Amino acid sequence: MTRFVVRRLISMVLVLFAISVLTFLIFQVIPNGDPAQRMAGRLSTPETVAAIRRTWGFDQPIWQQYLTTMKKIFSGEVISYTQQVNVLDQIKQDLPATLSLAIGAGIIWLVLGVLFGLLSAIRAGRFTDRALTVLALVGVSTPVFLLGAVALYFLAFRVQLFPNGGYVPLTSDPPQWLYHMILPWLVLSVLFIGIYSRVLRSNLLDTMNEDYVRTARAKGISERRVLLRHVLRNSLIPIVSLWSLDFAAVIGGGAILTESVFNLHGVGQYAAESIAQLDVPPVMVVVMFGAFFVVVLSAVTDVIFALLDPRIRLT
Amino acid sequence: MRVRTFGATAVAVALLTVAAGCGGGGSNNSTTSSGSSGGTAGGTATVLMGTAPDYLDPQLGYTTQSAEPDWIIYTPLLTYRHANGTSGGQLIPGLATALPTVSRDGLTYTLTLRRGLTYSNGTPVKASDFPYTIMRAIRVNWGGKSFYTNYIAGASAYDGGRASSISGIQADDATGRITIRLTQPYGAFANVLAFPSSGLVPRGTAMRNLSNTPPPGVGPYKYSSVSVNRGFTLTRNASFARFGIPNIPTGHLDTIRVTIVSNTQSEAQQVLNNQADVFDAGDTLPPSLLPQIESQASSRFARVPIPSTYYFFLNVTKPPFNNAKARQAVNMAIDREAMVRLASGFLKPTCWFLPEGIVGHPGNSVRCPYGTTPDLAAAKRLVQQSGTAGTAVTVWGEQRSPRREYVDYYTDLLNKLGFKAQERIVSDTVYFPTIGNAKTDPQTGFADWIQDFPNPSDFYLLMDGRSIQPTNNQNFSKVNDPHIQGELNRLNPVPATQLNSVANDWSTLDQYTASRAYVAVYGTETMPKFFSNRLDFGAAVFHPTYLNDWTSLQLR
Repeated sequence: MTRFVVRRLISMVLVLFAISVLTFLIFQVIPNGDPAQRMAGRLSTPETVAAIRRTWGFDQPIWQQYLTTMKKIFSGEVISYTQQVNVLDQIKQDLPATLSLAIGAGIIWLVLGVLFGLLSAIRAGRFTDRALTVLALVGVSTPVFLLGAVALYFLAFRVQLFPNGGYVPLTSDPPQWLYHMILPWLVLSVLFIGIYSRVLRSNLLDTMNEDYVRTARAKGISERRVLLRHVLRNSLIPIVSLWSLDFAAVIGGGAILTESVFNLHGVGQYAAESIAQLDVPPVMVVVMFGAFFVVVLSAVTDVIFALLDPRIRLT
Repeated sequence: MRVRTFGATAVAVALLTVAAGCGGGGSNNSTTSSGSSGGTAGGTATVLMGTAPDYLDPQLGYTTQSAEPDWIIYTPLLTYRHANGTSGGQLIPGLATALPTVSRDGLTYTLTLRRGLTYSNGTPVKASDFPYTIMRAIRVNWGGKSFYTNYIAGASAYDGGRASSISGIQADDATGRITIRLTQPYGAFANVLAFPSSGLVPRGTAMRNLSNTPPPGVGPYKYSSVSVNRGFTLTRNASFARFGIPNIPTGHLDTIRVTIVSNTQSEAQQVLNNQADVFDAGDTLPPSLLPQIESQASSRFARVPIPSTYYFFLNVTKPPFNNAKARQAVNMAIDREAMVRLASGFLKPTCWFLPEGIVGHPGNSVRCPYGTTPDLAAAKRLVQQSGTAGTAVTVWGEQRSPRREYVDYYTDLLNKLGFKAQERIVSDTVYFPTIGNAKTDPQTGFADWIQDFPNPSDFYLLMDGRSIQPTNNQNFSKVNDPHIQGELNRLNPVPATQLNSVANDWSTLDQYTASRAYVAVYGTETMPKFFSNRLDFGAAVFHPTYLNDWTSLQLR
């Protein structure tokens, strides 16, 4: 176990390093992306731009700028170029909305994805399976921004059943928090439910034909028990793997469109706005933040694999 | 120029037109007039902004979104009348007792601070706060600081770290007298004194971005809470009313709650449904909702022109537009009505560089040199005569809608005229640094200018040969015309308070510029004034510089 943890920690450091370098370099090669020029405004003189460059250290070699930025990130002093606010404070402010979205939607898409996948597999080839297949394809094919806009237009604007976007903190008003989150949860989940149910259906059908399943049936174990204890348990391994990566990506700012359409002011929305402004510090922090969650949850997934399948050992 | 940001617009554009097909009806192009219709005092209104203000620190804010609150929280020595249209461009004394006394050589401005003023936190206002405020704007790198460093004696030295204060500003706390010495006559300097960034803050205010905890100011409102990128709340500054400053209203609402929304579709829907009160004028109304707004909310929606110029620059130093006939052909062929349609009606066609509402605008009675009806056949003949047909042209443009569509249309037009035009679309964030870089040296493309202040010199900076520079160049056509230079040398020093005396001269100059076809102007932007039915629409002022005047908002 110790070896596993150490190995994962080393890989996490390497991943974060590689991602931070890549992100930083991408912004350096954008033509005319000089932050000093943007900060100086349209009417600035070359002297003003040069002064800003000196003040902010943009005149330093790239490697030095990278090191300075990383130092500031880890000391919690990193400031955005565009609004000159502390990036970590901004992420702390935005994180509850993102966590609310990710946790709620993550539970919904996992539960419904598994349920629909199971139903499809059990009823393979019948009407239920075909109906769920069509629904899954619709869910997978519908872009989040379209679904979100349609949902907002009809359910929030026309019928006024839900609020027109916005986020209410759980700590300040739990019922309002729930009321504001239902629509974003459902919209974000639709895509994942479609994918998960199709993946699980396929796994379940494959597993049902495995020798050990046949053996279990031959031993006289009830069909329900065979399905839940033997078939489903093994078929869930890729689902757990998928879920952890998707969940981590959503926490790390992956729900850009959902957050923007529903005006949740989460980490994803912050990332989108920062990218639009070519604001390197927040983009770097959000990217590293996302990568951190992906690496950590991937390690947690490996532990869950071992619990689901006794043949897997953590090394 | 004041920057209009459009972060949320990108999202709105991505949101498909789900609301299309609902309703129809006529448009309302009128500019509203001021005047009260008996609204109630007090209460709370919610303003929705699709794009967050760049800063809530008065010495850093430079976008329309930050100017709206800053104008009514941080009153400068001079300010503008709270009125619609041209009247809103009139300079009035703010914290100064009167308009400045300008020396004969135009180099010295003298003002006196009103007595008995206090900031919203109770701190007395001192004359020495003024030089400190200007130093702060320079030190924190305000986007328009060159308005100070280029003209105030000693400001450039302070900026460069060669001086610890600005030698050109003298302030006497005992008498309240403030004297500002300029390095060269600059008629628009009174307008510079009216920038929200010149709005006084107490001496000792930290020389860093204070958007999280904005400093106190002197104005009808004050910030009572701020959550960067999410929203902020303004409440009435109780002490302001007792100062009795003429022509600066004390406001009607007790509280103005501003919420930042990332989705302008949702922003417009909420105002249409009366779930929020004000659609921020700096945002773009989603075209899909326009028919519904025009049919269901025509009494609380208007398109209001603001002094701005939208044009295609034509680089006179490079082929084909170093040829006057090629430039004239573009001006002759351009279909301004088509541009208005591309802008969903948020553009008013014009051929003049000085827009309506700015002294010197030639007016609708003066005929455009190349006509107002497009004449493609004559334009094609001109291109053939010029010998520039077949020249490869790269047309530069921004990504955001409808600017991208303007450039699509323009590229197509150039091809119809006989050029071999190709588009080069650049990300909005880097567009102006890119086309303003000498290495790019673009032939032609999109450009715009929204007034910093109501003064023709603010627009003619773009035609001033002296403003051509290797980076951040704004004279994209690279105009260096001796006649224009001579006129600018004569007209620029005329003090802002005497602008009307040279209105005809500016008008003649603008007609000359149009005749030379240095640029192809196609319109002036109009902005949406769109409220919920809770607010008194008729009584609300739409200011030409600061858009919705929140002091004029009142509940019905």
